[in-house]
Amino acid sequence: MKNRSLLIFISALLCVSAIVFAAVYAACCSEKQSTFWVMDTISTVKVKGPGARAAAEKAEEITRNLDSSLLSRHSESSLTYRINKNAGGKVPAEYAKYIQTMLEVYEKSSGAFDFTLGNVSDLWGIGTDNERVPSDEELKEALSSAGADKIKVGDGEISFPEGVAVDFGASGKGIALDEISNSFKDCKINRAVVSVGGSVMLYGKGDFTVGIKNPGGEGYMAVLNLGSSFVSTSGSYERYFEKDGVRYHHILDPETGRPVSNGLVSVTIISGSGALSDALSTACFVLGTEKGMELCRAFGCEGVFIDGGGTVYVTDGAAGMLEITDSGYHLEGR
Amino acid sequence: MKNRVFGKVDLILIAAVTVCALLFIFMRGSASDGGTAVITVNSSVIEELNLKEIKERTVITPDTDPKVTIVAENGEIYFESSECRDKICVRTGRLSKPGDTAVCLPAKTVVSITGSGPDAITY
Repeated sequence: MKNRSLLIFISALLCVSAIVFAAVYAACCSEKQSTFWVMDTISTVKVKGPGARAAAEKAEEITRNLDSSLLSRHSESSLTYRINKNAGGKVPAEYAKYIQTMLEVYEKSSGAFDFTLGNVSDLWGIGTDNERVPSDEELKEALSSAGADKIKVGDGEISFPEGVAVDFGASGKGIALDEISNSFKDCKINRAVVSVGGSVMLYGKGDFTVGIKNPGGEGYMAVLNLGSSFVSTSGSYERYFEKDGVRYHHILDPETGRPVSNGLVSVTIISGSGALSDALSTACFVLGTEKGMELCRAFGCEGVFIDGGGTVYVTDGAAGMLEITDSGYHLEGR
Repeated sequence: MKNRVFGKVDLILIAAVTVCALLFIFMRGSASDGGTAVITVNSSVIEELNLKEIKERTVITPDTDPKVTIVAENGEIYFESSECRDKICVRTGRLSKPGDTAVCLPAKTVVSITGSGPDAITY
């Protein structure tokens, strides 16, 4: 009889423990994953925590709204479309902030990051049905209207000469990640990994791993071990076309209007800001390894630069984060 | 004949504990299932393949525009062909490791391998 009571007691205890454990698991470890298409690319959201579902929905809503109402250069409902058409206009505070961040990168990179090359990239048409190699005259004319130094922003207003085409193509994904990160502060979540077209946000406590896409092949060639941060990569392998045996990629040199040709194939930036990591990856790609590393230091960011020969160059801080997993790549000097 | 060791209540409790434990194991297991290739079209999962179990060449042709052909064989999966213009999906090559992903933007089709790879891939 005594054994029987003990057995019942242990069974009940186990049952209650299992239920409590399952409830705690459901509350704390509930996970939501979603995939959606916006900004002409794929986004993935992985969130953990009691508020995972709401947070994932919010991430998608923010990205879609940002694109359609503010950042898209081609959507008529977007503010960028309107200000490009009217050579400026009234802008909300957050939009002015985005422009100021990009202007800061433009200035500190000595113009290597120029977000007014919309007309030049339209000529190339990379990623569209109109891919072609523009003539020197066409590039010269398109470049004459470019130049972020022509932009004036302040008092809720932006202005620039006609013909300048503001383009968030090299920073919009990072801006979206910043806004998603801010929105997550109100959500009950423990951890999140969000990728908007390969720009990544790592949110929450603990360690994260981010693979850097192999520029010359399949899968990833290295893994970054990181805490909460933002990671963006610019690569010449991602969007390009080939004509007469020559590859023309989408990262354009603001001086020539032609695809950058400095030996680099990929630059990854790790930063505390999504907008900065996105913009700086382009800026550093254009600048090349040496000047790119200087720019990283100026912004307090870390960088991984990969050249076409498989040599990997890293900033001091990135050296301890990086683990090369593909034998086709090696750290400089090793 | 009455069971002297376990009464009805005991059996119910043991069953409840077992169900809870199995449920928990299932929840854990589904979250970390490795080596599975997941194909999504327009954000909806259309196919999940355990690459280790596939012995013969398996061809998947989802209903997309442009058309894509995905092949799984020898523990790998890849876009064999695509009617899209840039062919980035085909050039991505063969996927075999957890975290590997190939995307066809025009067809809104993603092939990725789940498991214990990196949390994300930057590109």
